[in-house]
Amino acid sequence: MRLSPEQFWTYSEWLFRENGLRDGLFLALVLAILGFVIGYIVAVVKHGPGEGFLQVARIIGQLFTVDIPKMSFRRIFAIAKLAIKESIRKKILVVIGIFIVAMMFAGWYLDENAEYPARLYISFVLTVTNYMVILLGLFISCFSIPADIKSRTIYTIVTKPVRPLELFLGRVFGFTAIGTLVLATMGLLSYVFVVRGLDHTHEVVSNAADGMSGETSLVNRHRHTFTLNESGRGSTNETKGHRHLVEKIGDKVVIKEPIDDLTARVPVYAKKLSFVGRDGENNEGYNVGYMSEYQKYVEGDSLSRAIWRFDGVTPASFDKVISYDVTISAFRTYKGDIITPVGGFIYFRSVAGDDGSFDKLDESKRVVSERETFKVKEFQVDRRTIPLKLKGFKNGQPVELDFFQDIAPNGSFEVVIGCQDRGQYLGMSAADVYLRPNDLLFGWNFFKGYVSIWIQMFIVICFGVMFSTFLSGPVAVIATVSAIVLGFFGFFVDQIQSTTSKGGGPIEALIRIPTQTGSMVELDLGNPTLEQAIQQIDYQLLRGVVQLKNAVPNFDQLGTADFVAYGVNLFGGLLGRHLTIAFGYFLLTALVSYFFLKTREMAA
Amino acid sequence: MSTTLAQEPAAPKSGSDATDIIVETRNLGKIYRDFWGRKKVHALKSLDLEVRRGEIFGLLGPNGSGKSTTIKLMLGLLFPTAGRVFVFGKEASDVSKNERIGYLPEESYLYKFLNAEETLDFYGRLFDMSAEVRRERTEQLIQMVGLQRARRRQLKEYSKGMTRRIGLAQALINEPEFLVLDEPTTGLDPIGTREMKDLILRLRDQGKTILLCSHQLADVQDVCDRVAILHQGELKELDRVDSLLKVQDVTEIHATGLTEDAKREIQQIIEKSGGNLKRMDNPTTTMEELFLDIVRESDQRPGRRGGKS
Repeated sequence: MRLSPEQFWTYSEWLFRENGLRDGLFLALVLAILGFVIGYIVAVVKHGPGEGFLQVARIIGQLFTVDIPKMSFRRIFAIAKLAIKESIRKKILVVIGIFIVAMMFAGWYLDENAEYPARLYISFVLTVTNYMVILLGLFISCFSIPADIKSRTIYTIVTKPVRPLELFLGRVFGFTAIGTLVLATMGLLSYVFVVRGLDHTHEVVSNAADGMSGETSLVNRHRHTFTLNESGRGSTNETKGHRHLVEKIGDKVVIKEPIDDLTARVPVYAKKLSFVGRDGENNEGYNVGYMSEYQKYVEGDSLSRAIWRFDGVTPASFDKVISYDVTISAFRTYKGDIITPVGGFIYFRSVAGDDGSFDKLDESKRVVSERETFKVKEFQVDRRTIPLKLKGFKNGQPVELDFFQDIAPNGSFEVVIGCQDRGQYLGMSAADVYLRPNDLLFGWNFFKGYVSIWIQMFIVICFGVMFSTFLSGPVAVIATVSAIVLGFFGFFVDQIQSTTSKGGGPIEALIRIPTQTGSMVELDLGNPTLEQAIQQIDYQLLRGVVQLKNAVPNFDQLGTADFVAYGVNLFGGLLGRHLTIAFGYFLLTALVSYFFLKTREMAA
Repeated sequence: MSTTLAQEPAAPKSGSDATDIIVETRNLGKIYRDFWGRKKVHALKSLDLEVRRGEIFGLLGPNGSGKSTTIKLMLGLLFPTAGRVFVFGKEASDVSKNERIGYLPEESYLYKFLNAEETLDFYGRLFDMSAEVRRERTEQLIQMVGLQRARRRQLKEYSKGMTRRIGLAQALINEPEFLVLDEPTTGLDPIGTREMKDLILRLRDQGKTILLCSHQLADVQDVCDRVAILHQGELKELDRVDSLLKVQDVTEIHATGLTEDAKREIQQIIEKSGGNLKRMDNPTTTMEELFLDIVRESDQRPGRRGGKS
């Protein structure tokens, strides 16, 4: 699992620095204008320009003057309760039964030879729950209002003082409540399934003569070796993603339950990553072609380095050692000795002040640790540690260093990585080196994973109810599924926008096609003002398109199963962002539903 | 006829007069169109009518005459293509008018998975009524429509008559001033029909205004004060029931204990004064009266009914 930079923005960074709020408001504006224009066109077709405008104005006016102020929670609750009863009557809860059956048989099919069984188990339960709950949300939400219209029970509802928004909110809340119940049950069952499925112990089968090391029996297709210290405690080696604590009680060596497989690491990411080129000057890292979207490369056997700056590292969050993980990749310009991985080195150094770097420190205050060499472990996490006492140099003199006193006295330091082998490159991104303070509870992370699924279910229900206000049940299902599927292809729109320089936007392209101007040639109409105007309009149009793309929920980004499966703490900031996005969709779908319910003839 | 039917329409409630108008349609028209906007049916053509406070107003007409369309336009379930309709002086699309309206649809379109209590509680909530008021109203209405024994049964187990009753109860949950009843007696047995008609009259006597739409002519005749007759979307007749039905040039005499001689004498008098005797014999009762008599008698003396064959 590789984290992308935007996944570890904090909530406020996303909202303000990365313009989440600005983009959201801009999108709201684009949609509002679009909605108004479409509404007006429809009204004009029906009632003529003057009356049509009055109609649209009346509906918008009533939203704020009557329909929102006069909303009643009792009515919303009544409709929500009815939706729950309806769902139960439709035997929705049988889904839980199906889920239990799926769990019962899953044990047969999950690969016992998997390298990381915990990852497999967690991915499995999260994926199954995710699909089942989304499908459930889809079907209960899309068929409810059309069924009411078909059976005409809607007549007895809309002839009561029920307002359009109440119809939408009641349905959405009701279905969300029943979905939450189903999801919570599945979550609980899944947790038990994962914990019990992974739980095992081993017997000791062979012991060294001194009784301080040995090998365990073969259980679940793996065995461990273990060593004990003088006090009779120790642990096994890591196999299949877990270890066991081992304790000698009397003469007997006891292997305890597995640890380390169900974790929630809390990665502490660098504040920034900077690069130094082969000449020792700052640069942006080397680009080796289309290898990775995020990673930039440092050149081997030169002054080229990647430098991560960490802040706020205090002894409180680390026991004895500072654990950190490295996930860098290698790019070979020649094959060389293909068996031996590309080599690198790593060291740590002090920094000046709040934002200053190592270079800004007085020469006398510069503290650097000794270089530690390593071989790149590609496609896996290299788990490493910094000992608190380490060798290094102060003012150029070799000394014994204390990490927290000498290198990071105020919690800030730099990690520097370079490549040893001439002509080879190492690729890194900001997220490729992170510190690992003490882990959080797995159960809590698991819960957050389910909150993520809940968010997706909620968005599906909002869209399903919205589409069902003007489409029949099956068509509403197709529309909702289309919205979900479109979200998966959102990146395609981004690609068009990011390559605007080639061929331009819609208007420029319309000129280029008939004039047969190739996309690599500058547009030349003989009138610079006109060209500039066209490009400006194109730019705004493309921005609008990108915003519209953002209006479609991106379920690819909303899925966070990997965090839980790979044992990485699901950041509160990320979850907060997703919740905010879900709330945005909720408002959007509520408004669209309002307009359709308000203008729809229920008896037609 | 029951005693209530012989009564005159109740006097309008104090403080209001006969011109107090509950529903007013002006030049109301409705054209049903298909998806492409092409005209399918001209269901209603420039309808002008008023429903006045405290009366029972009947909408009469064959199937497809525009009765249901008119009702749906009044309730805001459909939007007019021409003209306007006002209920309590408000546009029909105004949701707040629904606070004072009760509606019994053509068939009781209720949630079949709820029982009677839950149904009434649900609709009570839609009127934003407090739990206490809902409980009280539910109790009253269940008593009133006689569903005490079936109050906990799901509506899907109800017979057609019971469904009609619970439908009426939900229409009355908010103590409406104006009741719209679409075919209230369909599916009811003669006793049920009679009870329904008595109930409608009782509600009128309580000062409610009732709009009744039916093609059961007998029902309309029995309970309505005024009727509008629609045919092919057009208003054909609108007047008081008694004046509409009065046949001006025919005189009807009902008498008992006449001898054959006396009858002959009457016949002679008619002929002498230039009249034309069209018919003179013993009247037959209506099937409804006969049926109700039998049931009443059977209630009092259970067992096989003897003798009259």
